Amino acid sequence: MSTYLVKRLTYMIIILFAASLLIFCLYAFTPGDFISGNLKLSPERKEELRQIYGLNKPVLERYAIWMKNAFHGNFGYSLAQQKPVLQLFNEYIWNSFLLAIVSTFFTWLISVIIGVIAAYKQYSLFDSLIMVIIFAAMSIPSFFIGLLLIKGFAVDLKWLPPGGMTTTGSNATGLAYVKEVIQHMALPVMVMTLLSLGSLTRYFRSNMIDVIKQDYIRTARAKGLKERKVLFTHALRNALLPAITLVGFELPGLFGGSLIIEKIFNWPGIGQLYMSSFSSRDYPLLMGFTMFIAILTVIGTLLSDLLYKLADPRVKL
Amino acid sequence: MRKSAILLTTLILAGSLLLSACSSGGGNNTAAGSESSNVAANTSAENSAVTDDQPIAASDMSKLPALAQKRTDTIIVGLKNPSGAFTPYFHQSGYDGNVSSLLYSRLVTQDEQGLPVPELAESWDVSDDQLTYTFHLRKDLKFSDGSPMTAEDVAFTWTLLYDKAYDGDSIITAIGIKGGQDYKEGKATSIEGIQVSDPLTVSVTLEKPIATAPITLGGEVLSKAYYGKDYKFGDLEYIRKLHENPVGNGPYKLEKFIPGQEVRFVANEYFYLGKPKTEHFIYKTSEGDTWQYLETGEVDYGSFTATEDNLKKLKNMGYLNIVPYTPSVYGYLGVNLQHETYADKKVRQAITYGLDRQSIYVEANQGAGQVANIPTAPISWSYTEEGINPYEYDPEKAKQLLEEAGWTVGSDGIREKDGKKLTLHFLGSKSPSTDIFIALATEGFKEIGVDFQPEVFADFNALVDKYESGDYDLVSFSTPILSDPSDGVQQFINGEVKGYDNPKVKELYFDALSTSDTEQRKKYYAEMYKILNDELPIIFTSYRKSYYAYNGRLDGVVNNPFAGFQDVNNWSLK
Repeated sequence: MSTYLVKRLTYMIIILFAASLLIFCLYAFTPGDFISGNLKLSPERKEELRQIYGLNKPVLERYAIWMKNAFHGNFGYSLAQQKPVLQLFNEYIWNSFLLAIVSTFFTWLISVIIGVIAAYKQYSLFDSLIMVIIFAAMSIPSFFIGLLLIKGFAVDLKWLPPGGMTTTGSNATGLAYVKEVIQHMALPVMVMTLLSLGSLTRYFRSNMIDVIKQDYIRTARAKGLKERKVLFTHALRNALLPAITLVGFELPGLFGGSLIIEKIFNWPGIGQLYMSSFSSRDYPLLMGFTMFIAILTVIGTLLSDLLYKLADPRVKL
Repeated sequence: MRKSAILLTTLILAGSLLLSACSSGGGNNTAAGSESSNVAANTSAENSAVTDDQPIAASDMSKLPALAQKRTDTIIVGLKNPSGAFTPYFHQSGYDGNVSSLLYSRLVTQDEQGLPVPELAESWDVSDDQLTYTFHLRKDLKFSDGSPMTAEDVAFTWTLLYDKAYDGDSIITAIGIKGGQDYKEGKATSIEGIQVSDPLTVSVTLEKPIATAPITLGGEVLSKAYYGKDYKFGDLEYIRKLHENPVGNGPYKLEKFIPGQEVRFVANEYFYLGKPKTEHFIYKTSEGDTWQYLETGEVDYGSFTATEDNLKKLKNMGYLNIVPYTPSVYGYLGVNLQHETYADKKVRQAITYGLDRQSIYVEANQGAGQVANIPTAPISWSYTEEGINPYEYDPEKAKQLLEEAGWTVGSDGIREKDGKKLTLHFLGSKSPSTDIFIALATEGFKEIGVDFQPEVFADFNALVDKYESGDYDLVSFSTPILSDPSDGVQQFINGEVKGYDNPKVKELYFDALSTSDTEQRKKYYAEMYKILNDELPIIFTSYRKSYYAYNGRLDGVVNNPFAGFQDVNNWSLK
């Protein structure tokens, strides 16, 4: 086990190194830089600024400087936002995380329930109907559903706010604040859950169908157990097992933010910040964020493997 | 039964997958296009009648949402995405500029035609050689922390911008204060040209006369006691820590900044014209559309492209005052004069005649535009139509000019000269208006025998990079905000329009800058515009038109295209 861990960690570091070089080059070689988009500047001033920012140095040298600073815990200073990159992460990521964690929770909860019932009543009217609905929801673009919900619930019915995270100008604290955030979260969480429900439900449904056909289920039924017990204790547990690997893969998604949802609902998340930093070529922020996601992805994969081992002792690492 | 259910499911699945495939492409579009609100690709000519340039008053205040009615001491305005760097001269995003313009007043501001008018400076005078500008400050000016503002603060602000570590985009350094370069290079400890004679008087000596100096120099003033406390030459790192805690002298003070959500202001009791009438002001971050916020009453003010659809929607809300607005910019097509083909004036003129600009920029845009023929906005004091060729769409004239230039129609309908085909490689950034342009231009150019080859870029920086590499014939641009007519013609002088060198234009440019007599300057610019309109070193395309709409219970709202929100201290809620 410990040799396995050492080996995995070494791989992880190598992968991250390679990834960082690749990502850095990708960004550096994308045409245009931070200065070129500003039409107000004269060519001489542009040169001067490139000198100040070090953008006129060779790419590898810039990479070495970035890497050196990163090792000292300094992820740089966002050029467009005029703030340290880490401070920006701290200001925006938690908002994205809040949306993601809540919608992930609901996605899992609902898809397990629907998946189990659909599998149990395979090919029934319920099964077909729910599958159609889920696929339809999955296939409608998020911006469309989002705008539709805003129109319905916010503009026409005025039940929920149209966007943002708190009411503008509000000084609410404590419970009142929590209530306000929940109200503002309702619509975006609804959209995100609707969109990711489909694939997970299908996953649980097919797992469940496999498990129900197993001998031990027949045995359980034969010894006279209640159907509910057969389904939820014997079948579901085993059907959930493969899903554990998915937990690790969700990790980067929890912090990555969602560009479209955040934009439509004006949610102060990292997704839209990242997008705007791409179009302005804000290298420190781009690099910092992409590396952050890369690290989470690598950790997430490791986590999945370890979890699987934990859940299924037959698996050898 | 089972089989048919499965069949049905599959069919619906296939259908919805198809649907999602189609619309994911459209998704990008909506995200990018939301800024320009609603640029529908409606090409029918009937829709061109947004010519009414008069403000429209709210028709039915009873429709005002309850949310807005409840708010009695706060004005809320949507703003795309301020980042938190609120120190003037140091922010990189224009949205931070909007924030800092409430926090800081300028020495000199501009009226609605772009002419300088006094703000913190009571007056200014120019020496006879047009080189020395002396600013006289108002008495008893104070910063928002209660400390007095003096000429020393003004001198400090200018000096700071000459620091070699300064990385903002202020153009103060470009106007050349005497001794500024020495300071920048570390050869002098202060700037020779900046003189403080008493606490209310500061003067600047320039290296050469520049008539725009009052506007350029008359910017915001930073407190020396606050922003200069830790200043050492060559090191401006310390100022970054002060970005979120501004000390200004504008109508409002910063109360709280919530990243990605809102910027809250509270009235500044030390403002030189007295405390503003409305206690609170909020810039609400609204990355996407502001429509829904205006409809629910969550914001009081919004700005929209002047299309017919938008106007109808705004009018229908009933409780909005709608004011037409023309920003001080112009759109143009940069022409690659270093390609031999386009170095020929006749070819450029032919292209302009062959381009139906009225259809492309006005009609297809539902009236949210106006055809441009000179490098200044129609609201500017320098604007003129006298002696200006409007280049109305005339394919016959275009053909004739091309013939004169020696381009004859080849066998495939494309013109040729010396065995070379007449091709036009166009660069544009991805947007609905570029799509319209390409569709209509392709047709128009085909008619006159030009092979039009458009290339579209997903983002602006990539486009600029390609443009700088020189691999293009035609490129679509719009200028940044032009505060003075000289900003609009600068590109013909400083080598930005490569391959264009007209001594007469240069002479007029410098003549127009060396006098501060506006009438005199008007004459120089009129003459220059005539030359540029004839020679077309770039092809002028269009002016943008938009509306700003605000809640009818707001009083005193003015948005000046040159100075932004005007007299904010007088904005009040009924």
